[in-house]
Amino acid sequence: MSLRIAGMGWVTPLGRGADAVWNRLLLGEEALARPTSDPVSAKRYSAFRVPAEALTDLPPHPRLRRASAISRFAAAAGIDALGQARSTIGEIDAKRMALVFAVSNGGVIYTKRFYHNIVETGAQSASPLLFPETVFNAPASHLAAIFGITGTSYTLVGDGAVGVLAVKMASDLLENEAFDFCLVVGAEEADWLLCDAYHKWRLLKNEPPIELFCDPPRGMILSEGAGAVLLARQGREQIDAIDPGGNFSQRSEAKKIAGQVLRGLADEDACIVASANGTFVDLAEREAIEHELPGALVYSPKAALGESVGASAIWQVIVAAQSLRTKRLPLMLGWDAPQGLSFPESGETLHEKAIVLSCGLNQQVAGLRLRI
Amino acid sequence: MATFNELGGKTRQSRVAVVAAGVISPLGHGLDETLASLRTSRDCVSPVTRFDVEKCRCQTAGQVSDERLVSGRRNGRKTDRLHRASHMMMAVFGQLFGKDPEFKPELTVVGTTSGGMSFGEDYYRALHRDRGLRHSPGWIANYPPQKPVIDAQNAFEISAPCQIIANACASGTNAIGHAFECVSSGKYQRVLTGGYDALSELVFVGFDSLQASTPEKCRPFDRDRSGMVLGEGAAILALENLEDARARDARILGEIIGYGISTDNHHLTQPDPSGSGPRRAMEQALHSAGRSAEEVNYINAHGTATPFNDAAEGKAIAELFGSIPVSSSKSMIGHSLGAAGAIEAVVCLLALQAQLLPPNINFRRPDQDLDLNIVANKSREAKIDIVLSNSFGFGGTNASILIQKLAA
Repeated sequence: MSLRIAGMGWVTPLGRGADAVWNRLLLGEEALARPTSDPVSAKRYSAFRVPAEALTDLPPHPRLRRASAISRFAAAAGIDALGQARSTIGEIDAKRMALVFAVSNGGVIYTKRFYHNIVETGAQSASPLLFPETVFNAPASHLAAIFGITGTSYTLVGDGAVGVLAVKMASDLLENEAFDFCLVVGAEEADWLLCDAYHKWRLLKNEPPIELFCDPPRGMILSEGAGAVLLARQGREQIDAIDPGGNFSQRSEAKKIAGQVLRGLADEDACIVASANGTFVDLAEREAIEHELPGALVYSPKAALGESVGASAIWQVIVAAQSLRTKRLPLMLGWDAPQGLSFPESGETLHEKAIVLSCGLNQQVAGLRLRI
Repeated sequence: MATFNELGGKTRQSRVAVVAAGVISPLGHGLDETLASLRTSRDCVSPVTRFDVEKCRCQTAGQVSDERLVSGRRNGRKTDRLHRASHMMMAVFGQLFGKDPEFKPELTVVGTTSGGMSFGEDYYRALHRDRGLRHSPGWIANYPPQKPVIDAQNAFEISAPCQIIANACASGTNAIGHAFECVSSGKYQRVLTGGYDALSELVFVGFDSLQASTPEKCRPFDRDRSGMVLGEGAAILALENLEDARARDARILGEIIGYGISTDNHHLTQPDPSGSGPRRAMEQALHSAGRSAEEVNYINAHGTATPFNDAAEGKAIAELFGSIPVSSSKSMIGHSLGAAGAIEAVVCLLALQAQLLPPNINFRRPDQDLDLNIVANKSREAKIDIVLSNSFGFGGTNASILIQKLAA
């Protein structure tokens, strides 16, 4: 089966639109981190936030009236992906479209508000309006209602690699000829609580810049937004291999699984869109790349866009597709010339293939390969 | 309307056997204890002990005792700091691989709704008090929904990729259904599947705030039903290409023959009163199996005992199946959310093996608006060859699977 990308939507701290964000990355821009705080603590962190103007033209659908930020990001990315696909392959029949939604932390803002009320004043003050939005599949339900999807809809939960697992699931679904399309969406919303949790887990630094491939790692900055790809049998870029990878129980094992994934996807004509984010992930990826594909051109978008966890692998897929379309890669930000890795210098690339390598923070590693 | 399941037999490359299972729920640990509880129609709902429910309408749940959960070390690693969901998953993995140590999955598909939520609660409460945060790295590391599955895989030296489906209360049946499709398509030979959820305060209070849970007994399909009670547990099933399973003389517990999935866009938390969503899921399951409604002998209903859910499901069942025997296991153990579909699949396998209709306990008066044949209060013997299991959830997600008994 030919699995292709028919349309893409991208909502990021650098704005909205697959081409608009890509052009800003090519110009060497990086998102501006904003301070985030919470009354529960005096600690302050930084996070990359989606600018409000990116969502101003969302349709007035009743499902979006009270929806959380994550649902609104996802809706915007999904609308854009379907719009782009319509302009290239024609009408999209929602009855022949499945939805796979990738997420890691989910609707944390409403979840925190809901539980805060319980902690502060007791169970009797819990809000029945907030609770349904705390459920992992609430954003997918809103998308299904907006797009008229009445059949298959799955929400997949995982770490930063969950987007690749979602593409794998979409690939399995599209084996059935009853489907023509699968909309894969990855989304996440940032909140102070997540920043605090990742900080206590020693993965987060307080302020940018994100410094990639440093040893020892110096930490990441959280981000938010969504990415959507409409997968079909027609389209420009083909996903010609997917490796759902495996799980590591100790961080030191991540390198081994990343290496196995790279070995399976290796192609001398491929660049690598990595998931390096300023944490232990960078060292795992660096060693795996040095061992399996030394000399391959490596790019990670996370110095510019931050770590969007559940959305991040779909962002990498979009980066990979755009690099193949435009024959360019943005200059790598936030690195300190580690030996053994090659980063884009001129911006131009002649690669016909791109490998997405995704090593998550919570034990999952996976990858896929695109070609044009 | 074309659906994933519509091509039915045309896309089926392989038949799908269930070759082993593990279950832990208020009914008991393992298949034997679970069957014994079904036979005796035991009410497993009790006052909640894990957190303060004084200010909730509902104060009961189906709970798994910690006493028998695995502790200490597994595979040389400490397990003391793991979430109890991890302990439940390790327990059901232990049962499954105890029965079939040769089973090597290529993929693991598991449903859950809330992962290690109670660790998130511990963390937030400690943050709120600004003390006790020294445990926070452990809470955070063990909070993610994939963690209990990966912990269990690690304990048994499995490194299959994990797809964790969070489709609310349909998660477990969706996971089994997707795993079934993976094997039946011929792309996979062996897939591990199931579901888990551990009771948490946030979810408990959430359902209470919606007034979906009841201070009374859980009485699915009863005229006086007033809501659900929550539960917890885990179940895991080993699915394998039937030919391969037979070739290695694996014990076969049953065959999954159909799966249906639909999305009802009526409302985020309420079903379309017409029952159209559940009906489409059940129709698709029948269609994908190439079976008629008349061939099905028993339905393990979603049956939460909320007025709206039971009305919608009951209407769809009555229209599609007529007077088929129906019961809801939630009357005995409460609603274990992401685990429910998996535990109920195990209940269906046991029903097929023991030729037993599981009971719908606490049933007093039929609902005159629902023309259903309820297996009221006591389990009973019956000849059953094919059973259907339903799970429906928030977000309008509906899932049904069909399981059949295989001749020895």
